[in-house]
Amino acid sequence: MNAPLANRKSWFEATARARIGGLLDAGSFVEFLQPAASQPSPHLAQLDLPGAFDDGVVVGCGRLEKMPIFVIAQEGQFIGGSVGEIHGAKIVGTLRRAVEEKPAAVLFLIDSGGVRLHEANAGLIAISEIMRAVLDARAAGVPVVALVGGSCGAFGGMGIVAKLCSGIVISEEGRLALSGPEVIETVMGVEEFDAKDRALVWRVTGGKHRYLMGDCALLVDDDLAAFRSGAAEFLTGWREAGPSLAALRSSQQALENRLAAYATYRDGLDVWAALGVAQPDSVPLLDSDRLVALKKGLPT
Amino acid sequence: MNAPLPREWDSLRQSRQRRLERAATLGFGKEIPVDRIIDLLEAVIQPGDRVCLEGNNQKQADFLSESLADCSPERINHLSLVQSVLALPSHVDLFERGLANRLDFSFSGPQGARLAKLVQEQRIEIGAIHTYLELFGRYFLDLTPNVALIAAQAADAEGNLYLGPNTEDTPAIVEATAFKGGIVIAQVNERLDKLSRVDVPADWVDFTVKAPRPNYIEPLFTRDPAQITEVQVLMAMMAIKGIYAEYGVKRLNHGIGFDTAAIELLLPTYAADLGLKGKICTHWALNPHPTLIPAIESGFVQSVHSFGSEVGMEAYVAARSDVFFTGADGSMRSNRAFSQTAGLYACDMFIGSTLQMDLAGNSSTATLGRITGFGGAPNMGSDPHGRRHASPAWLKAGREAAGPNAIRGRKLVVQMVETFREHMAPVFVEELDAWQLQKVMGADLPPIMIYGDDVSHIVTEEGIANLLLCRSPEEREQAIRGVAGFTPVGMARDKRAVENLRDRGIVRRPEDLGIDPRQASRDLLAARSVKDLVRWSGGLYAPPSRFRNW
Repeated sequence: MNAPLANRKSWFEATARARIGGLLDAGSFVEFLQPAASQPSPHLAQLDLPGAFDDGVVVGCGRLEKMPIFVIAQEGQFIGGSVGEIHGAKIVGTLRRAVEEKPAAVLFLIDSGGVRLHEANAGLIAISEIMRAVLDARAAGVPVVALVGGSCGAFGGMGIVAKLCSGIVISEEGRLALSGPEVIETVMGVEEFDAKDRALVWRVTGGKHRYLMGDCALLVDDDLAAFRSGAAEFLTGWREAGPSLAALRSSQQALENRLAAYATYRDGLDVWAALGVAQPDSVPLLDSDRLVALKKGLPT
Repeated sequence: MNAPLPREWDSLRQSRQRRLERAATLGFGKEIPVDRIIDLLEAVIQPGDRVCLEGNNQKQADFLSESLADCSPERINHLSLVQSVLALPSHVDLFERGLANRLDFSFSGPQGARLAKLVQEQRIEIGAIHTYLELFGRYFLDLTPNVALIAAQAADAEGNLYLGPNTEDTPAIVEATAFKGGIVIAQVNERLDKLSRVDVPADWVDFTVKAPRPNYIEPLFTRDPAQITEVQVLMAMMAIKGIYAEYGVKRLNHGIGFDTAAIELLLPTYAADLGLKGKICTHWALNPHPTLIPAIESGFVQSVHSFGSEVGMEAYVAARSDVFFTGADGSMRSNRAFSQTAGLYACDMFIGSTLQMDLAGNSSTATLGRITGFGGAPNMGSDPHGRRHASPAWLKAGREAAGPNAIRGRKLVVQMVETFREHMAPVFVEELDAWQLQKVMGADLPPIMIYGDDVSHIVTEEGIANLLLCRSPEEREQAIRGVAGFTPVGMARDKRAVENLRDRGIVRRPEDLGIDPRQASRDLLAARSVKDLVRWSGGLYAPPSRFRNW
C-alpha cells in the first residue's frame, strides 16, 4: 500500500488547472474564455483588490475516457474560490452551453466557501443562477457531477449547488456543508462549534462523514487519478432521471428522519456509533477502500 | 626525603557519607515520599554544590527542578548548575530566588530572553556555553556534579532504574556523579516490581521519588509535512542531486527543520527515481524523526542511532529493531553522548539550518536579547581533525579542499537556508548579531554555532555554493554572495566573479544540476501530512494530539 502513497498527486493541494490536467484525457482540454478573452472582476478593481484574469474559475471542454465532457474548476487559492459576478457568469454560461451541446457530462470541480462577499448582491444572484443552470442541465439530460476535495471544500451557496448536482464524488479531505465552521463559531459561539478543533471540523463536515451519511455517491483517495476514475465510475451507466414529485417527497422524508435520529448529536463519532459503526474511533484512520467496505456492511 | 603532605584522600566519600547520614536521621530510606522531597534536597545539597538538573531539549527532570526551586535559599545557595539545558521556568527561578548563581550549560531555548536579562542584571555568572559533548567531557574533568537530579521512567524496589526510550543524557550524568562521591536522586514516573530492562543499577542511585506527573518530554523533532513549501522541496532536490548523490553520502546527521524534513520525504520518491537507494543515507545519527518513516519503510535506511526518542514514535521504533537500537525487552535505547560522538566522528555529513550567516560562512542562531546556546550542532557541524578512517565521501571532500594529494579527508558540513527567513529578515549578513551579543554578555568569544572554515556547502533556493573548491577568502565571499539571492549581501555580488565561479562549478544553479524548478512540487513528498506518516507506519506512529486533525 505504501508505494502508491508516494506516487499520489494530491487533489487537495493541486491548483484548478492542475486538477483539470490530471482529470481529463491527456491534452484534451480546451479552455473557454482563454486568458486574453476573459477579464478580471470590476468589483475587486473598485476596491483596489488584486483580481485574477480568470476570476478564480476555469471552464472548458475536453474528454474523460474519450467521452466529451465540459468542465468547471474553481480555484480555491483565489479568494477562497468565492463566487463573484464574472466567476458565476462563466459557470452559468458553461452549463447553458451544455444544454445546447449535450456533452456526456459536466464535471464541476467545487472548491469554494460560497459567495464573494466583496461583490455582495452580484455574487448572491450569481449563486442562484448557478443553481437554476445546474437543474436546467440535468433536466436536459446532462449529468452534472460535483468533485469535492479542495482546501476550501464546498460551503455556503456552493454547498447547496453541490447537493443539486447529479452526485458528489468526495475525498476524505473534502468538506461539504452550508455554514462554514468559522461562521458557526462566530455567530453561535465556540460552545456551539469549535472551528479550531480541526479534527472535529472534519468529523462533522469531512468527506468520510458525508459518505457514511449517504450525502455523496463515491469516496475516493486524495489523488488526481482517483478522482478521474471516480468521475468515470459515477458516469458509467448513469442516466439523468426526470424531475419526479415522488422522488422529492421521498428525499424530504429521508431528511426528516435524519433530523429526528441525529439532531441532538454533537460529533461525528456519536453519529457513526448510531449508524452502527462498531469502532467509531477507528474511522478517521481508515483508508477509503476500507471505509467503503465498512459502509457496505452497515445496517440500512 | 620530604615527608608526605598530611591530607585526607577520601574527603569526597566522607562528604557523601555525611549527606547520607543527614538523610537517614530524617528517617529517609531509598524511596522518598513525594511530599517530603524538599526535606531531602535540603538535607543532601550543600551551599556551593555543583548540581546537575537533568534536562535537555527533550526529557526534563521537571519535578525535581521545581522542588529544588522551592527549597529555602537560606539552606541552599551559591549553587553552580552544570547541565545541558536551561529550558524550564523553574531553572531560571533558581537564579531569581537566590539558590544558584553560576551556570555552565549548552542550550537555553525558550528561556533565552530571561537568561539574557539575568546576565545583564549580573544575577547570574555564566561559566561557558558548551556543546553537549564538551559539557559531558567536563563532567569527567573539572565540572563533576556533587548532586545529580535525574529523570527515569521507572524504578524497582531496589532502586534500579529503567530510563525508557528517552535514555538521553542520563548515563553520562550518573556515571560522572556516582563514581566521584556524588549523590544521585531520580524522579520516576512509576514504581514497578520488576523492570523490563535495567539502565542504571541500583547501587549508582541513592534516592528515588515518584513524581506526581510523568516527566515532561518535548516533541521537538516532529515536523508536519503539510507545512513544507515548494521552495524547500526545490532546495531538497538540489541537496540530494548536487551533494548526497555526488559524494555518495551514506552516514549522516540531519538538523531539525522543514528543510531537512523535505529531504527525508524526497528519499523514497525523487532520490529513488535517481537510483540512489542503497547508495545514500543508509546510516544515521538521528532522533527518530517521524518524517524518516517513509524512507525507512522504503528500505533506504539500514541503521539509526538516536540522541533521544520522539513522542509517539515508541511503538514504531520497537517494531523496527533492525533499524533502531533497542533493548532485549524491545523498547528503544537512546544515548546522547554516544550519538553525539557518532555525529562528530562517524558521520560523513551534517546538514542543518541557521538564522544568520556572514561572508566568511560563520553562522549563528544567537540574536540580540536572547542567549540560546548550541546543543549538538557545533559538534556534528565541524570537521574533526582527529578522524582517521576513510570513506568515499570524506576522501572526495578532502581532495576537493586540498587537492589530489590531501593527507586527510573532510567532513561535509552543509548549511541549508532560504535567503530570507520569517518577517523578511535576511539570513546573509555582513556582520553576525553574535558579535554585539558577545559585548553585551561580556563573553570571551562570540556565540558562533558553526565556524565558516568548517562549512563545505551552502544550499539556498538560488543554488549551491561549494566552499571546498574556493581558493581564497575573496572567492569564498563571492561564492556566498552568489547564492544569497536578493538579500543586500546577495545584491552586492560581483556578477563577473560569480559567473566565473559558476563556470568552475563552485556556484551551481538548479539548471546546472539538471533540475527544473517547475518540477519542485509538493507532490514529490512521500507524505504530505502527519496522517500520511501514520499510514506509512502501518498505524504504529501515534502523533501527539497537537499534530492531529483527526
